[in-house]
Amino acid sequence: MAGIEVSGVARAFGDVHAVRNATFTVEPGHVAGLIGPNGAGKTTLLLMLATLLRPDAGAIRVAGFDPLTDPAEVRARMGWMPDLLGSWASLTVREALVASARLYGRSTDVATARAGELIDLVDLDELADRPTRVLSRGQKQRLSLARALVHDPEVLLLDEPASGLDPVARAGLRTLVRRLASEGRTVLVSSHVLAELEEMADQAVYLSAGVTAAADEIARAASTARDWRLRSLDPDRLRVALDAAGWAEVARIDNLGAVVPLESEEAAAQLLAHLIGSGVPVSSFAPAVGDLEHVFLDLSRNGEDDA
Amino acid sequence: MSGFLRGLRLVVTIDLRQRVRTVAWYVLLGVFVVLVAGVTALLVLATDAFLDGGGGVFSSIVFFVLLLGTLVSPALSANAINGERDAGTLATTQVTLVTTTQVVLGKWLAAWITALAFLAAAVPFLVFAVALGEVPATTILVSTIVTALELGVVAAIGVGLSGLLTRPLFSVAVTYLVVAALSIGTLIAFGLGGASAQSEVRTTSTYVDWMAVERDGVPPGEEPPCLPPETWTYDVPRFDHVWGFLAANPYVVVADAAPASFDDRGTPTDLFTWIAVGVRQAQHAPELEVVFDECANWTPSGAVVDDESETPREVYERSVPSWFVGLAAHLLLAAGALAWAVRRTATPAHRLPRGSRIA
Repeated sequence: MAGIEVSGVARAFGDVHAVRNATFTVEPGHVAGLIGPNGAGKTTLLLMLATLLRPDAGAIRVAGFDPLTDPAEVRARMGWMPDLLGSWASLTVREALVASARLYGRSTDVATARAGELIDLVDLDELADRPTRVLSRGQKQRLSLARALVHDPEVLLLDEPASGLDPVARAGLRTLVRRLASEGRTVLVSSHVLAELEEMADQAVYLSAGVTAAADEIARAASTARDWRLRSLDPDRLRVALDAAGWAEVARIDNLGAVVPLESEEAAAQLLAHLIGSGVPVSSFAPAVGDLEHVFLDLSRNGEDDA
Repeated sequence: MSGFLRGLRLVVTIDLRQRVRTVAWYVLLGVFVVLVAGVTALLVLATDAFLDGGGGVFSSIVFFVLLLGTLVSPALSANAINGERDAGTLATTQVTLVTTTQVVLGKWLAAWITALAFLAAAVPFLVFAVALGEVPATTILVSTIVTALELGVVAAIGVGLSGLLTRPLFSVAVTYLVVAALSIGTLIAFGLGGASAQSEVRTTSTYVDWMAVERDGVPPGEEPPCLPPETWTYDVPRFDHVWGFLAANPYVVVADAAPASFDDRGTPTDLFTWIAVGVRQAQHAPELEVVFDECANWTPSGAVVDDESETPREVYERSVPSWFVGLAAHLLLAAGALAWAVRRTATPAHRLPRGSRIA
């Protein structure tokens, strides 16, 4: 049974079609990145998965249940972290988590124990007995994540979880999300910071203007030429070697080294072998943009061409 | 069912726990107590002379508590749902296992309990008024319960509107307008409505010709000389068509619900009963054909005019208790507002209020 199954989902607000046609599946144990530009419909899609918004068309299954007909079953199994940070301002962090757990039907004892665990997990120990209104944005973000986990859900929906987090907390979030997935949970993370998703997600859902990209589009976009960045201890020798290999016209030389568009990983391997063979001291050889970003940029470029 | 109550209690607890940590709330309560104390002191001074103590003070304090309660309650209730939505805590509650009905009813109960705190703060003054004079225990009980119910009605309207309207400021303002419509609008509607639907009263009077009696005398056993009947007309307002407006006034509900107290001549002994008699009097259609016949009741020493005017007590007793109608209408309004708010707040949401986001 898939953790999240979405097929042909659409939702409009008046004449604004926020989501036109979303179709994807996320299996348990996987982290899927929900990727799209601002206004692509990411939050609307997550609200529909979180049982808060009724889709106009299409079918959704979260943890095997339909949010429309069995919202209570879905809610018992799904944790949602909204993009809009809200907390009961005058309750303390601990009280807020206990209250959330109780709202999920946990007894006071269980709720108190769970709140303690989560405060440890998201590293809010020092603030546990302060009112939530004193929390900074990043701390509220962590509280919000803890609240999403309060009932130990099978499916996690995280809407922009990393915004406002410092680098240490981001690293912590990454580890936590990977660990949650390895425990067999299904995680869907939305973000427009692709570098971050790159390290967290093992699959991606591209959403652009309310439409998810089909698998063949993604494959095509992934296989288009992409830029690789080369650095050498000896820039002059690098330039000469590129010239000799016939890359002079397409390579862009700058003070950091060179950027070369390559069709495939095989082409990259060949070029690297050639440069090493020519005795160029290559110190760095890597894609200039991450996989997600490459596909995302390519898809949005095609979208613009179509329009 | 116990699951329902458990969730309801949880929503109420979370809401109240936040309210009791707000400083402004204590300030408001303090100001309220000071105002009620001041009013009580002034009432005692003002009524000592001509009213028999406690009754007048008691009913005035109850009205004052109702006035302040209905003024404070919208501010405490009418941002319950849209305020939570603005704060971003509504959606995170709605994704849990509590239902929308529990959330809306819980918010209402919390707002009501908060308003009841004001009534509770006024209790010492009510006790003082009772100690002053003879206020029947039933009056104390009934007027306190009905006042509490009216505060619940205002809280329900506030919470209902906060679920229907997007902006807290707007829903608070509309709730105040509803309270004003019930408290003052009903009086205006009653007065203007009654005055605009007037009926003509025809009075026919037949008098004894006293000049002829003086001049000629009247032999025993004979009819006195009579003047020809005189007829004239005038217009009266028809309050009996519009008494329902008055019945919908919360002050009238409280006054009319309290058990009436009359002296042995059938005259009301407290403010509540005077209001109740006035309201019930309005239920009765005025007599449109008035016949006054002095001749028919003639005696040699003068006319016996039959004095059949009712005492206030008789009017009171032959009328419909209007508080029942008014309170029923209020409870219906409150239940409707809450039910509508539940419908509009239910998830998965069908439509969103313009310009709002659900999270």
